[in-house]
Amino acid sequence: MEGTLFKLVDEVTPSNLKQAMQQAIEIEIATIPVYLYTYYSITRVPDQGAIEKQIFTDFKAIQQSGKTDDELQKMAAALALDIMVFANKAGALIMSVAVEEMLHMSLSSNIKNALGNYGGLPELVGKTPKVWPAYLPGHQPPFPINRAKLTLDQLYTFLLIESPLPVQPDLTRGRAAISYDTIGDYYQKIIDCIRDNLTDRDFNPDAPQLINSKFYSQNNVDTIYYDKQHKPKFGNEDDSGGLVHVWGVDSAIHAMDEIVEQGEGASKIMDGHKIVGDHLTPDGKVVCPLDFDPLSYDDPSKGELSHFDKFLEIYCTIHRKNHELNNFLGTTSFDFSTYFVKDLPTNPSTTDYPENIQKVCTLNNAIYTYLFVMAEGCYKKKGHTQFEIFMFGIHKTMIWLLNVISESMADITYKDPATGTEKCVSATFEDYDFCVSEASPKDQIIALAEIAMKADNSVINQGILDIIHDLPDVAL
Amino acid sequence: MENLKYNQEANGCGGSSTPSKKKDIAVPLELHACMGLNACKGHDRYGDNDCAGSGYCSTQVHYCHTMNNCRGQGGCGLYGDTEEQCTPGANDCAWQGSCGTPIPAERFVTQGKNKGRSVWQIARKLFENRMNDANRNVKEAPFAYGPPIKWLENNGRSESCGYSGHKNCAFIVNPEDRAKAQAKHSKEFSEESHRLLDDSMKNCGCKD
Repeated sequence: MEGTLFKLVDEVTPSNLKQAMQQAIEIEIATIPVYLYTYYSITRVPDQGAIEKQIFTDFKAIQQSGKTDDELQKMAAALALDIMVFANKAGALIMSVAVEEMLHMSLSSNIKNALGNYGGLPELVGKTPKVWPAYLPGHQPPFPINRAKLTLDQLYTFLLIESPLPVQPDLTRGRAAISYDTIGDYYQKIIDCIRDNLTDRDFNPDAPQLINSKFYSQNNVDTIYYDKQHKPKFGNEDDSGGLVHVWGVDSAIHAMDEIVEQGEGASKIMDGHKIVGDHLTPDGKVVCPLDFDPLSYDDPSKGELSHFDKFLEIYCTIHRKNHELNNFLGTTSFDFSTYFVKDLPTNPSTTDYPENIQKVCTLNNAIYTYLFVMAEGCYKKKGHTQFEIFMFGIHKTMIWLLNVISESMADITYKDPATGTEKCVSATFEDYDFCVSEASPKDQIIALAEIAMKADNSVINQGILDIIHDLPDVAL
Repeated sequence: MENLKYNQEANGCGGSSTPSKKKDIAVPLELHACMGLNACKGHDRYGDNDCAGSGYCSTQVHYCHTMNNCRGQGGCGLYGDTEEQCTPGANDCAWQGSCGTPIPAERFVTQGKNKGRSVWQIARKLFENRMNDANRNVKEAPFAYGPPIKWLENNGRSESCGYSGHKNCAFIVNPEDRAKAQAKHSKEFSEESHRLLDDSMKNCGCKD
């Protein structure tokens, strides 16, 4: 976003409400490529036998504690089992958050489109951060956000994004000083503005919104994982909230409360202060809870942790497990996440890759951008047209194009000509500029797919091309 | 007719299963979503079943949510909202099916009060109700709780979408022990879903 709200003004008023809602949408959009990127760095279902062997070999090579082969083998088997559950769980939890971030983008867009003279069509295309590290629009001072693989540092950034409490200035581990409001506080400014200045008559409930219950499900096959007994566990709960039809003041506030509670957890105001767990210390440490208290959940049945607490759980599991393993081995830097996290580059651009991979990456970026084109289209059309764009366009594109290609790309490697080393590849989630051609976005994607298929038919095949041909044709 | 009946050992990731030697019928007489959901004699994948409900496997295949071409051809589970996941093999229209076909015995509902329960058993119950309304007799399905993934794989079909791993397996390295544990999981899952089937159907009747 060019010039954020807080650089201009400090509070939300009727005169800048439209701008404030657009900024809210862009805050939500900014998180999506970040969470997706980290998600695709995880091998959710490793080969249990292979990693058990590798762990045992590595244990023997690095241990400083005089453990016997039997002891090492036993620990290797236990760790491999832990990884089978945890890798899948980490993937499921991050995907469950990404799903809710897409919901939040839709909720904010519903509000903006319903705000009549105070809002308007949500702008979604071309709003993905263009420069990385990126910064959440409006947070002052900003903190850097990377597209990076799963690490404790990356999870720490996730915690900063979703923190229910203001982050202290010296909490940034040497990065630029941060003194910023939370996303919850940001939405509270909008809520205050609407509550104090608008009435239901200021809303246009008939403006197109995403409200059909078929458009959103809390869970899908990728938000689940299996416990040690291989029983399915679900990343989200049915009662954690969904799409909201914004028709007036109360429903707009309800939609924003849902966004904040899903991100930061259930709120409890006491003496004018929000009561939440304080897990980030001023010196940059993370305080891991022994257990999660009721305020850590975002749903009435207390089955779904907030985004902050999901990330806290992943962070603390890695931290504790590594501590336990280093004690066992007599080492200091053993990191068990290397067995299920791919060594993806940080903040790559398409142009960083060899030419044939660039073609696949460019296609994936066009598909990613087309999701926003179609989402914008849903705010211009109602009824059957909107339904068809969403169900046959957005769903198919998410599941069978973006997800499949991004998963495949995370398994590609190439030899760096400068160093001779093998390097990993990842989807880059950069906005594609459809304005480079007069052809429709769909026709451009078909052309890009044909080029990509010639470059690498192991990733882009006829099946993918057929799905692209089936997509609705939505104009910019 | 080849009669496999229910074979726990055939269920899943480490188990064994016998590929059918039959060939697919050239032109299916009915397009349906899975084993045991055929409305007439000769309407299954191989064209030689002797009664409604006794057919082997689906006569149409698609991979996922929104990819079915017609009414009644959607699978269910894994994707879709609560209402969609209550209509496996019984969706109203093209592209409105939730998830792919065929529907493996191990596939479970991922949304709503039936979360974690068998999709195929709901599909079969809906089918039996439809046949009952039409005053039709229905025979047992070749597998009491639907076609196991392993059977489908050995007969040229595959499980559908997702990256969260095998739907019904066990985290055990030794293949024989894994197969035994997996068969036990499968049995427990199928029997528990069967025990709760009336409740599942009631849940699907409620709009909450």
